[in-house]
Amino acid sequence: MTRHHPESLSLLEFSAGNLSEPHALCIRLHLDKCTLCRSRAETLDSLGAVMMERQPKVSVSESMFDSILAKIDESPAPQRTPQAGPKISILQKLLGDDINDLPWKHQLGDVSVMDITEKFPGQNERVVLQKLNAGGKAPTHTHKGNETTIVLQGAFSDQNGVFNQWDFVVLTDQDEHKPVAIGSEDCITLSVLSAPIKLTGTFTRMLNPFIR
Amino acid sequence: MTTLDKKPARAEGRKDPWSQLLVKVGKHQDRRAYHSLFEHFAPQLKYYAMANGMASHAEELVQEVFVSIWRRACLYDWQKAAASTWIFTIARNQRIDMLRKMRRASVEMHVETEDLWQIPGEDENQPVTSLHRLMSERRVRDSLSHLPEEQITVIAKVYMEQKSHQMVANELNIPLGTVKSRVRLALGKLKVILQDQNV
Repeated sequence: MTRHHPESLSLLEFSAGNLSEPHALCIRLHLDKCTLCRSRAETLDSLGAVMMERQPKVSVSESMFDSILAKIDESPAPQRTPQAGPKISILQKLLGDDINDLPWKHQLGDVSVMDITEKFPGQNERVVLQKLNAGGKAPTHTHKGNETTIVLQGAFSDQNGVFNQWDFVVLTDQDEHKPVAIGSEDCITLSVLSAPIKLTGTFTRMLNPFIR
Repeated sequence: MTTLDKKPARAEGRKDPWSQLLVKVGKHQDRRAYHSLFEHFAPQLKYYAMANGMASHAEELVQEVFVSIWRRACLYDWQKAAASTWIFTIARNQRIDMLRKMRRASVEMHVETEDLWQIPGEDENQPVTSLHRLMSERRVRDSLSHLPEEQITVIAKVYMEQKSHQMVANELNIPLGTVKSRVRLALGKLKVILQDQNV
C-alpha cells in the first residue's frame, strides 16, 4: 500500500484532462496501484460530469443523429470480446519487460539515468528514469522548478520519509534532499522535470547526477 | 424489460434513468434509448467542445463521442459508474485524442490516450472499490449545491475550459493561492482531499 499520494489539485487536473502526457503517466501508474486514489479520481470524474451538466447547452445540427446512425451501421454490432491473454502494462509498452535491463547511462557513483523524453514528442518537460543502486546514495541536490517522481521499483528514503514502490512525490526548488536507496533492490524512479535540477553545498555541477 | 429492471428496489434506486438507457444500448443495441441519450447529452457535449476552444470541431467531437458510446456501451457497467460520468470521460478522452492527433499527425505515438486516461468501469479486473463509487455522482451533485459560486466558477474553468490554476488566476485577476484554496475548499467538501495533506 502506498503512503505518498498525488495532491488533490493534480488529480483534479488529471481528471479534467489538462495534464501533459508525462505527468498523466505518473498519475496513471499510481492510480493503477492505489485504490484510495482511484476512488478519489472517480469522484473527480463525476465532478466533471456534473460540471458539464451545469453549463449551457448548445443545440446540434438536425442531421447529426442520422449521420451517426449511418456511421454505426457501417460496422458490425459491437460485442464484448474477452481480453486475449494478460494485458500489457503501460510500463511494458514504454520500457519493455525489465526496467533493470535498459541501456542505463552510468552517471557517477551509485547513480544511473536514462532519458526517455523522446517517447513523449511535443512536450516541454524532460522525462528521466533514475536508478540508485541498492544501498547507494545520491549527492545532495535541490530542484530547479518542479520534479514529479514515482517510484517504479525498490525504495528510497530522505529527510521527508520512506518512499516505496508506487509512491508519488513532488519536489520544488525549495526542497533539498539526499536520497538513499534502501532495501535489497536497486531503486528506480520515473521523474518528470520542468527544469534541470541544480546542485547545492560543496558539490560542483559535475556531480549533478542529472545533468548530462 | 431486462432482468436487472426486475431486481429489488435497492438496485433500481441506484440506477439513474440515463444509466438505464445506456444499459439498454449496451445489451440490446436499443436505438430509441440511444436517441434519448443523444437528445440529452449531445447539447452538453457540444458546449464542452466549444468551451475548450474546439469550436470548429465541436460537432465532430460530439459525433465521435456518440459513435464511441455505441461501440463500447457493451462494456458499460452501471455498478461502476453513472452514465453521465462514463460519457464525460469518453468526451474528455476524445478531446485529448483529437488534439494529440492534430498536433502531431506524423509522429509515432508510444502511448495511447486510453493507456493514460481510462474509462471508469471498463477494466474487468478491477473490482468495485467501494459503495462510495456507486454513490459518488449523487454525492457530488448534493455537495455542489452547497458550494459558494466562486468555488464552482474556478472548478468549471478547470474542467470546461482546460485552464490551469495559473490561467484561472490571471483571468479572474486573483492570486494563484486564492484559486488553489478555493479549489481545495471545494474538494474538501467532496472528500477528495486526504486528511494528511497540507491544505
